[in-house]
Amino acid sequence: MSEFFGIKVEDIFNSMQARFRPEGASGVNKTFGYDITGIGKWKLIIKDVKMTLDKTDDLAGCDVAMETSGETFVGINIGKIDAMAAFTSRKLKVKGDLNTFGLTSRMFQKYMMPDQGIMPEQELLVLKKTISVNQKFATGPVFGKFLKALKDKKILAIKCPQCGRLQSPPREVCAICRVGNTEWVEIGPKGEMRMMEYCFYASPDPLTGETRETPYGAIGILLDGCRDEEVFWHLLRPDQLDRVKMGSVLYGKVSHGSRLRPVWNDNRTGSIDDIKYFEIDE
Amino acid sequence: MKKDFDTSDCYTIQGKLALPYTYFAGRVGSAFITAIRDKQKIMGVRCNACGKVFVPPRQTCERCMEDVRSNWVELQNTGEVVNFTVVRYDDKHLPRKAPFVLAMIKLDGADTPMTHIVEGIAPDKVAEGLKVKAVFAKQTTNTILDIEHFIPLE
Repeated sequence: MSEFFGIKVEDIFNSMQARFRPEGASGVNKTFGYDITGIGKWKLIIKDVKMTLDKTDDLAGCDVAMETSGETFVGINIGKIDAMAAFTSRKLKVKGDLNTFGLTSRMFQKYMMPDQGIMPEQELLVLKKTISVNQKFATGPVFGKFLKALKDKKILAIKCPQCGRLQSPPREVCAICRVGNTEWVEIGPKGEMRMMEYCFYASPDPLTGETRETPYGAIGILLDGCRDEEVFWHLLRPDQLDRVKMGSVLYGKVSHGSRLRPVWNDNRTGSIDDIKYFEIDE
Repeated sequence: MKKDFDTSDCYTIQGKLALPYTYFAGRVGSAFITAIRDKQKIMGVRCNACGKVFVPPRQTCERCMEDVRSNWVELQNTGEVVNFTVVRYDDKHLPRKAPFVLAMIKLDGADTPMTHIVEGIAPDKVAEGLKVKAVFAKQTTNTILDIEHFIPLE
C-alpha cells in the first residue's frame, strides 16, 4: 500500500466512521463516490444522519463522484493541497456538482496523523533581563566649567569673538564662524518662555536608564542677556504645562511668553539636573 | 598623557544604565537551545539548494533565500577556532572575568562559525586552527550558555 505525506489512502477512509459528526450531516441525503486512481473506489452514503461506507467497484447511482490520485486525495484531506486548485488544474475531476463535496467538510472532523494531537507544542524561549552598563561622560574643559557654575546657581554662556552670539550649554567652537570661543558671560537665571515640546514618550536617561514621568514639557527659554535664537533648553514644572504662555519672534514682531525662573536643587553636584526645572515667575 | 590645555574644569560623570529587554528566540532558535539543554546536541540547518550548513541555525539561507528551517542536521561537539579576541576589561554584562577568550568556532560539519567562550588555555596560547570541544552546562539558563564553554581538544 502506498503512502502519501506518510499517510495511506485507506487510513483516511477507515477513520471516517470515527470522524463522523452527525450534527453536520442533518438534512443531507446524498451519495458520494471516490475513485482513487490505482488504489480503489469507495462509496459514501449519508442518509438520516447516518453514514455507510463501502469499498466497491460500482460507483453507479452516486449524486457526485470524484476521480483523483492518492497523493491529491491525501493532500486535500490533511490540508497540504488546496481542493479548488486541484480541481482547476484537472488533478481532481468531479462528476456532478463540486459544491456537494463541500458538505463533507462539515460532516467529518479533520483527519489527524496518529501522533498528532498528542505531540507537545514546541517550547519557545523568551529571555527577560535587565542588564547594567557602566557609563562615563567626560565633560572636557568648556562643558565642565559650565556644569561647575551650576553648583553656584550660575548659568554661564560662551561668546563667539567674531559674531558675538552666546551659546549655553557652551561649545568650544562657534560652528558658524569656525573660531574658538573664549569669553564667558553669565546669563539669566530668569528668562522668557519661547516654546515647548509637549512630550508623551520619554526615552531612558543614558546615565541611569530611568525614564521621567510623562507628559513633560521640554522648553526653550530666552534667558536674560540672550537674544534671537540663543535659547536654553530645560524642563518646565510638570503641573504648569497647560498654564504657560509661549512667545515668538515672527518677521520682527515680538510676542512675549511667560516669565520663568529656575528652581534649584538643594544638593547640587555639577550636573544639568542641578536645576530641577523652570517655573512661572509670579 | 600631558594635556596642552587647562584641565582644572574637566571631570567625569559616572553613570549606570539599566537596560531592560525582552528577547524572543523564535521557533528555530528555541529548538536550537532546547536540543543543547535536553539532549546535549548542537543542531544546525542545511540549505538543500547550496548545501551550506548554518550554526547557529536560521530560517532562510542567506544566499539562496531558501526556507531552511526544517532541514535539521546534527553536528559534532568538536570544532576549530577560526577567529578570536581576548576580552581585557570587566563589566557586569560580560559572562566572565577578564581576561577571557571569545572565539568564532566552526563546528565539524558546519559552514558558519558560532561565537563562544574558550577556557582551559591561557589567552595568549589561543591561535586560529585550535581544535576545541564543547562542555555542556550542568545548570540550564535557557540561553546559548547551556554550552558552558569550549575547551581545547587535547
